[in-house]
Amino acid sequence: MPIVVNLDVMMAKRKMSLNELSEKVELTLSNLSILKTGKAKAIRFSTLESICNALDCQPGDILEYANDDNTKTTNR
Amino acid sequence: MSKTNNFVFWSLYIVAWVIFVGLSIEAGGLVVNFFFSLYKPEFVQNLYQKLDLTEMYKASRLAFFGIYSFILIVSILKACLFYIVIRLMHKMDLLKPFSTFVAKQFSQISYYTLSIGLLSYIARELAKNLTHYGFVTDNLNQFWADSQAFILMGAVIYIIATIFKKGVDIQNENDLTV
Repeated sequence: MPIVVNLDVMMAKRKMSLNELSEKVELTLSNLSILKTGKAKAIRFSTLESICNALDCQPGDILEYANDDNTKTTNR
Repeated sequence: MSKTNNFVFWSLYIVAWVIFVGLSIEAGGLVVNFFFSLYKPEFVQNLYQKLDLTEMYKASRLAFFGIYSFILIVSILKACLFYIVIRLMHKMDLLKPFSTFVAKQFSQISYYTLSIGLLSYIARELAKNLTHYGFVTDNLNQFWADSQAFILMGAVIYIIATIFKKGVDIQNENDLTV
């Protein structure tokens, strides 16, 4: 999938745990975990809004587009 | 799910078990018949279904093995089909029936049904052609009398299975929308 979720990076920058974020965003831990591990197929604007609000960031800080070649290079 | 539906479901489950046992006995009987008609043809009269093809075996081994392999494959496939139906009904969660497992089983059921129908149809045509060469194939009609029904049923189940599979995919995608 060319869309990479950088939620863990932003959480580390803000020094926020998954539990804390889950409470602020009012999302279940399992759903946040799905998002963090990149298993999510889609994200609602409302979820994105609350995450951006909780982490004080822009959607672009959480989501990144990387085509397959870039992903492979990054993985290496 | 209402109690009435549950009652119908479990009744059908029992019926499927009975049919499966019957088809397994038939398939087993045909395998035994096959070996007896090869090695001890005189015992065939006392066996299950009394399928005596010794005359055909004496006249043409190719015709005998061809016809018998069709009979065996079709009867084994029918038993396998009902085994899949039983497994599906046993493992299926009635509260959450739209799962990948159920979609896969539906596809398998459609493939088995279509295979049975097509093989039965080919075998029926083959048996019809053999009558031109003087073979008596009237006692074989019971094995492929319902070939067209199987093809039709297989096609319908295939369409339902495809729609079901797509539905499960959409549901999975929806579940993974955070």
